[in-house]
Amino acid sequence: MRNLLRFLKRYYYIFLFILLEGISFYIISQNSYYQGSAITTFANEIAGKISTKTQNISHYFTLGSSNESLAKENARLRSKIENSYVKYQHKAFQYNDTIYKQQFEYIDAKVIQKTINKRNNYFILNKGSIHGVKNNMGVIGPDGIVGVIINVSQNFSLVMSVLHQDSRPNIKNARTKISGTLVWEGGNYSKGKLIDIPSSIPLKIGDTIITSGFSQDFPEGISVGKITNFQKDKGTGFYVVDIKFSVDYNKLEFVYIVKNFFKEEQQQLTKDIKNE
Amino acid sequence: MNKDIIVGFIHFFVIAAFQVFILDGVHLLGYINPLIYLWFILMLPTNTPKWAVLLLSFSMGFVVDIFAGYIGFHCAVLTFIGFIRPLFINIFFSGKEIESNLRPSIAEMGLSTFLPYLAFLVFIHHFLYFSFEIFSFSEFFKTLLRIFLSSITTILLILLFDFLFFRKRK
Repeated sequence: MRNLLRFLKRYYYIFLFILLEGISFYIISQNSYYQGSAITTFANEIAGKISTKTQNISHYFTLGSSNESLAKENARLRSKIENSYVKYQHKAFQYNDTIYKQQFEYIDAKVIQKTINKRNNYFILNKGSIHGVKNNMGVIGPDGIVGVIINVSQNFSLVMSVLHQDSRPNIKNARTKISGTLVWEGGNYSKGKLIDIPSSIPLKIGDTIITSGFSQDFPEGISVGKITNFQKDKGTGFYVVDIKFSVDYNKLEFVYIVKNFFKEEQQQLTKDIKNE
Repeated sequence: MNKDIIVGFIHFFVIAAFQVFILDGVHLLGYINPLIYLWFILMLPTNTPKWAVLLLSFSMGFVVDIFAGYIGFHCAVLTFIGFIRPLFINIFFSGKEIESNLRPSIAEMGLSTFLPYLAFLVFIHHFLYFSFEIFSFSEFFKTLLRIFLSSITTILLILLFDFLFFRKRK
């Protein structure tokens, strides 16, 4: 017994080290296997509460640029509403509310904590489960795509931004309608890469890239960026395309969380296929 | 001793806040991500009990983790640094320096003693952190570049702040 105590006293330091490392790795494994693990939700809530305070200060420094991008978006939307169109066909027009059904709803949110200089970057937003946010909802900004919600606490939510090695949103070329995948390879936060675009259809520098709408997280036609450079990969028959993001992630402040009313229905369809 | 603990707490919060609210939001060339929070562990006085160093490393890592969005990384890596710190203290500092419970800094030890200790631990920390973060060999050279540039930036930042804020204790 005495020897045992002496042994523990001498090596307690190593045991403590192993215990702490064990806790760390346990938390990491929880994060990677279960999306929305309890510990991340808890941390999310704390970080959100503190960051809201500091964000209130830093908010003023980016006020100019975020106002500008919101004003631009307003102008774009204003040009789309009914009374900015002239009616050319004066036929009988049946007004029927039931032929349209709303598919997407947007929850406005504010970015209160973000990283952009790591290999995998996250944002924390000031809207959580009590505002109706759920896991796997898409997030877009006034200028384009931002990321996907991966964890929700009561008042806050955590977004995996497109600046992340696991982020692979489906996109398409607005001109040719050919779809591909957006990836980010680290480094500059304003430049991304497109893969899986077949090299049989010619591209142009300056082509606009938008979301394809194939994934149920984003509506179709959300801006992603513009092609700055491309080359053929001889081995695979696909293009390697460099794009410049339309969103400045460093200045991003106001975002919208996308709620898709048909998502469960769509998932139900594909789930049945997988089960066969 | 009491004064040391209070000063330690202040250091803890100032360094963590600086890392989380300023350095994590700054973008430098895309490859530089200074991780200055490990300075807190490096500058604990040489006679700080080992268990305290370990627990402090873990809590510092946890605080930074909470704000980085992905919990566990900083904890695991910084706890390891806390674990190997005594070894490096024995290698780089003389017996007299260890016994008199000095705070590792330029003012107390001189640049020639402090820099190798700082550089080795910072480099080991960045190597582990960035390899962990990517967790594959797919971007090997980019990761190496990232480790190298970030280590140098962190070392320069720590030297600068050390020079600015710590004067010799009388």
